[in-house]
Amino acid sequence: MFNGSDAFYYSSCSSLCERVGPWWDMQSYYNKWTRQILRDVSFYMKSGQIMAILGNSGSGKTTLLDAISGRIGHKGTLLGEVYVNGSQLKKEQFQDCFSYVLQHDNLLPYLTVRETLTYTAMLALQKHSKEAIRKKVDSVMAELSLTHVADTVIGGRIFNGISSGERRRVSIAAQLIQDPKIILLDEPTTGLDSMTANHIVLLLSQLARKDRIVIISIHQPRSELFKIFDRIAIMSCGELIFCGNPQEMISFFDDCGYECPEHSNPFDFFVDLTSVDTRTKEREVETYSRVHAIVGAYRDCEQFQSTLEYIDSSKKSKEQQKIPFKRRETPSEICKLVVLFRRIVRNLSRNKIGIFMRLSQNLVFGLFIVLFLIRLNNDVLKGAVQDRIGVIYQCLGGASYTGLLNAVALFPALRAISDQESKDGLYQKWQMLLAYIIHILPFSILSIVIFGAVMYWTVGLNPEITRFGCFLAAILVPHLMGELLTLAVLGIVNNPTIVNAGVALLTIAGILVGSGVLRSLQEMPQVFQFISYVTYQRYSCELLVVNEFYDLQFTCGGENITNANVQCLFTNGNDFIENSYPGATSRITFDFLMLYAFVPAMIIGCIISFKIRDILVHR
Amino acid sequence: MTNLNLKVTSGQMLAVIGNSGCGRTTLLDIITCKDEGGKIKSGQILINGKLTTKQIVKKSVAHVLQDDQLLPHLTVRETLLFIAKLRLPRSYSEQQRQKRVEDVIAELRLRQCANTRVGNAYTRGVSGGERRRVSIAVQLLWNPGILILDEPTSGLDSFTAHNLVITLSRLARGNRLVLLSIHQPRSDIFQLFDLVLLLSSGATTYSGTAKDMVQYFSSIGYPCPRYSNPADFYVDLTSVNYRTKEEETETLERTGSLAETFREKVKDFDDFLWKVNDGNRELPPGETRANVHTTPLEKGIKIDANEVDELPKGLHQFAVLLNRHVSNDFRDLSTLLIHGIEAVLMALLIGFLYYGQGENQLSIQDTIALLFMKGSLTPFAVVLDVVAKCHSERAMLFHELEDGLYSITPYFFAKVIGELPEHIAFVVFYSVPIYWLANLNPGVDNFFLNFLLMWLVVYCSRSMALWMSALLPTLQISSFMSNAIYTASYLTGGFIIRLDTLWAVPYWISFVSFLRWGFAGLMQVQFIDLTYQVQVGNFSINIPGKQIIQNLESDTYPLYASYLVLIGISAGFLVLYYLSLRFIKQKSSQEW
Repeated sequence: MFNGSDAFYYSSCSSLCERVGPWWDMQSYYNKWTRQILRDVSFYMKSGQIMAILGNSGSGKTTLLDAISGRIGHKGTLLGEVYVNGSQLKKEQFQDCFSYVLQHDNLLPYLTVRETLTYTAMLALQKHSKEAIRKKVDSVMAELSLTHVADTVIGGRIFNGISSGERRRVSIAAQLIQDPKIILLDEPTTGLDSMTANHIVLLLSQLARKDRIVIISIHQPRSELFKIFDRIAIMSCGELIFCGNPQEMISFFDDCGYECPEHSNPFDFFVDLTSVDTRTKEREVETYSRVHAIVGAYRDCEQFQSTLEYIDSSKKSKEQQKIPFKRRETPSEICKLVVLFRRIVRNLSRNKIGIFMRLSQNLVFGLFIVLFLIRLNNDVLKGAVQDRIGVIYQCLGGASYTGLLNAVALFPALRAISDQESKDGLYQKWQMLLAYIIHILPFSILSIVIFGAVMYWTVGLNPEITRFGCFLAAILVPHLMGELLTLAVLGIVNNPTIVNAGVALLTIAGILVGSGVLRSLQEMPQVFQFISYVTYQRYSCELLVVNEFYDLQFTCGGENITNANVQCLFTNGNDFIENSYPGATSRITFDFLMLYAFVPAMIIGCIISFKIRDILVHR
Repeated sequence: MTNLNLKVTSGQMLAVIGNSGCGRTTLLDIITCKDEGGKIKSGQILINGKLTTKQIVKKSVAHVLQDDQLLPHLTVRETLLFIAKLRLPRSYSEQQRQKRVEDVIAELRLRQCANTRVGNAYTRGVSGGERRRVSIAVQLLWNPGILILDEPTSGLDSFTAHNLVITLSRLARGNRLVLLSIHQPRSDIFQLFDLVLLLSSGATTYSGTAKDMVQYFSSIGYPCPRYSNPADFYVDLTSVNYRTKEEETETLERTGSLAETFREKVKDFDDFLWKVNDGNRELPPGETRANVHTTPLEKGIKIDANEVDELPKGLHQFAVLLNRHVSNDFRDLSTLLIHGIEAVLMALLIGFLYYGQGENQLSIQDTIALLFMKGSLTPFAVVLDVVAKCHSERAMLFHELEDGLYSITPYFFAKVIGELPEHIAFVVFYSVPIYWLANLNPGVDNFFLNFLLMWLVVYCSRSMALWMSALLPTLQISSFMSNAIYTASYLTGGFIIRLDTLWAVPYWISFVSFLRWGFAGLMQVQFIDLTYQVQVGNFSINIPGKQIIQNLESDTYPLYASYLVLIGISAGFLVLYYLSLRFIKQKSSQEW
C-alpha cells in the first residue's frame, strides 16, 4: 500500500505571451508582452489530505494546477520541479501520475452513467476481466453516490439527462476509475448551486481520506467548508500568500494583525485581504504593500521554514520510494480501437436525430434533382446529353456535400472529448478518429443506397441492374471523401463554420478540375491535367459517364436518326464518351481501383492531420 | 409563483435569493415584461402607482442578462463608447460621453482591460469575469431608474463581486431602484442588501430588510448558527431537496409551512414587509388564497419624458451602428484573411483552369461553362459566410432590440450598407482575375457590364442569406434552407438542365432564379459582338456570337432585363429581410 508523502517544490516562473492592439497598428500588435505568472511557490502535501487553492481571478490558481500537472506546454515556460515520494517527475511521467478534472464536462450525451464509466474503465484497465471492471465501476459509482442514476443517460443541451452536479461527479468518477493517487480539479464547484457544490467538496474530502491527495482550485467556498480542508493555499498575483491548515491560517493572520470577524466567512475575508485593488492608484499601492507585508510575514513564519526543511530533507533522502502511478494496464492499440468503436456506436444508436440526418440527407438532395427533372428523355435537342451530365454533376457534388454536413454537425463534440481524454493518456486522438471513420461506413453505404434507389429509377437513368450497382459504387466514394476530407481539416482548424465553407469550396474545386464536366479535360492547361489525376472526382465522374452513356441511343428531333442535323453532335452515347473522355470505356477497372484507393489514402491523411493536432493542441 | 406581494421604494436595493428553480428568473422576467417565463394569471405590477406597460419598462428599466452578448472584436472601451453614443441623450457632448465611459470603466474596474478585445468562444479576449462586468457597464451607462440584474455576481471573484454590489448599492442610494437575483450571496454581500426576498418554489418565505432576516427566522424557531452565513443557511433551509423521495416530501412540507407562516405574519402590513416587534397582532380570519401575484413597485422614479425624447434618433443611430459594424468587421483580421485568401485562391484556380491568354483561346463550350461557374460559385461562398455571421450576432441583436437601444430601421440600413465594402472587395477579388486570365471579351464596356452583373448576382445571394438568417431560428436550419434556395436557383439556371425541358413548377421557379438571370446576362455580354472560329475537319467556320446565344436561348429577354430583374430580386430579398427583422423575434438558439 502506498503510504508516502508527496512534496512539490517550485521556484517557478511561468510566462504567457499576449498581443495587444488592433492588427493594423503593427508596432503594438507585435509588441508581445510576457509576464511572470507564478513566483516562488513551494508547498508539500501528504497523502490523505485535501488542499484548496484560493485566490481572485488572475491570481494564478489555474496556472499553478497546470504547472503541477505538467500541462503548461508551449504557452509558457516553467522553471520548477515536482517531486513525488522524493523523486523528481520526468516530463513523460506527469500524465501517469496525476488525474486532472477540467472545469467543463466533456461527456458523450447519449450514454448512461454506467456505460460511460465502463468504457473508460475498459480503455484504462483492459487486462482486467469483465467482472473486475464491473465491480470497479460499481464501487466508483457508490463512492461518488451515482448509483441511483447509473442507468440514466447523461444528456446534453437538447434533451435532459442527469443534473449538472451529477455530471460533474461523473467526470470525477471517470478519473477515479484509474485509481490515481493524486487528483487535481480545476474549479469543480463553478456553475453548481450551493448545495450541490458542498456535496461535491465533501465527497472529494472523503476521497482524499482514502489515501489520496486531492488539490482543488475553488472560487467562493462557503464557510461550512472551512474545516473540511486540510490545507488552504491562498494565491495573489502569482505568489503564495499562505499555505497551511485552517487553524494555522487563522492564527497566522491573527499574528499579522488581521483578525477574522466572527460573523463572516473566513475564506472571503482572507481572500479580500490579500487581493490587490487596482481601481485607483492609491488603493493599488496601499493594497499591494499590504499583500507584500503578509507575504513577508509568511516567509518568516514557522510553517514556511518547516516546508522548506521538509522539502530539502525529502529531496536528499537516500531511500527512493516508488512513484505511485495510476493503475494502467495499457491495453493493446487494437483493443482500444474496439472499445472506442463500441462506445461511439452505442452513443449514436440512441441519437435518433443524428441517425435520421445521416440517412436522409442524401435522399433530400436526390429529391431535389427529381423535382426539377422528373424524367430524362433521349432526344438530344431536348437536352438528353446536357441533362444527364447535369444529373451526374449534381450527384457528385451533392454526395460530397452531405458528407461534409454530417462531419461538421457530429464530429466536433467527439473531437472535444478525444482532446481531453488523449491528454489524460487514455488513447491517442487518431484512434478515436479511426473508430469514428469505421462507424460511419455502414451509414454511408445505407444512405447512398436509399438515395440511389429513389433517384436512379424515378429520373430514369440507364435501367440495367448492374449499372445501378456501378452507379452506387461510384457515388459512395465521393460521399465518404466529403466526410473524410472534412475530418482531416477539422483536425487542424477548430472553428466548424470555417471548415464548412472551406471544404465546400475545396470539393467544388475538385469537381472543376477533375470531372471534365465543366472544363474539357484535354483542353486544360498541362498543370491542371496533372492535378486532375489526384482528384477522386475525375475517376468517379468518368465511371458515372461511361456507366450512363455506354451503348445509349439518342434521337434527334423526330424519329429519324439518319437525318441528323448539325445541332445533333452525337447520335449515341459511345460517340459522346469518345469525344469527351477518350478511351474511358477501357479504363473501368483502373478507374474503380483508383477511386477506391482514395479512401485508405484519405484515412491516412486524416490520421496525419490528427497527429499534427497532437502538436498544435499540446498545451 | 403564488402569492407574492412586494413594495419597493426607490433608493433601495432588493435581492431576490433562493436556490435554483425557486422562480427568481421568472419573477424578473415578469417585471421586465418579457413573455418567456409565462404570463401573469392574476395580479399587477405598478410603477409610480401606474400599471406597467412595455413602454414604461423600456424607458425606466435596465435589465442585465445572465449571458453576455457583445461584439467580439471591439475593445472594451469601444464597446462602451458605441453604446454611449446610442444610449446617452443627444444633449451630451462628445467629451461628456467619453467622460461617462471612463467613469463607468473606473467604477467597474475595467481600466486594465479597456483596450483589450471582448472576444468570444473562438477569439481570445478579456476574461469571463471582465466580460460580465462589461455587460453590466453597458447598462450602467445610461443611468436607468430601475436596474435589474440577473445573477450579476456569478463568475466574478469575491473581491470584484463585493465591489460590484457596493457599486450597486451606491447606485441605489442615488434615487434608483436596484433589483438583483443571486443564488449564493456571501456574508459581506448579504449585509449590503436593503431588502431581501427569499423565494422557495415560487412562494415567499421571507421578504423584508436584510438585517432583520436572522431575527425573523429565530422568532419562528430557526436560529442561525454562529460562524455561518445567514443567507446560505436560510437558502438551504428553504430549498427543496430532490435527492431522495423522503427528503423531497420532508423539505417540501417544511418550505410550505414556512411560506404559510410568513403569509400569516405579514398580511396586515400595507407594504408586505416583515418588521421587528410585530409578533403579537390579531390575525383576521383567513382570506381566499387565490393565485395572486402583485408586485406594486412604488417609487418616485423619474421617467423623464424630455430626456427620453432627446435620445439619438434614426439617422444618428444609423451612423453609430454603421461605424460599429465596420469597426468590428475590420478588426477581425483572421476572418478577413480567410475570406480574402479563399476568394483569391478560387479566382486563381478558375482563372488558370480556363486560361485563355495568347494562343490557347477558349472554345465556345468551355466559355459557356466558365460563365456559368463564375456566376454561380461566387454566390455560394457568400451564402455560407453571411448565414454564419448573422447567426453569431443574432443573440446580441435580440437583446439590444428588446432593450430599445435602437430600432429596426437604422439597424437594417447599417447592416446592409456596412456589408457593402466587404461585398465590393469580395467581388473584385473574385471576378477580375478570372476575367483577365480567361481572356473574356476584351471590350471595356463588356468588362464593366460583366462586373456589374457579377456584383448583382452576388448581392442577390447575400440578401437571400440575410433574409434566411433573420427568418429561421437556428444556424443549421438557416444554412440548410439557404442552400436549398441556392440549389433550386442553380438547377434552374439554364446550364445544368435545359430550360425548355423544365416542367411547369421549376419553369416558374426559373424566373426568380438569380443565377439564371445572371447567366443569361453574362452570356449576352460575352458573345454579343464576338465571332468564334470553329474547326470542323479542314474547314474553319466563323460562328457569330449572336447565333450561340440564340442556340442556347439566352436572348429571350434583352440584356437590360437581366439587370432589372436582378435588382428586383435583391430588392425583394431585402424587403423580406426587413420584414423578418420586424416581425420575427431574433431569439437565437445556437447548437454548435
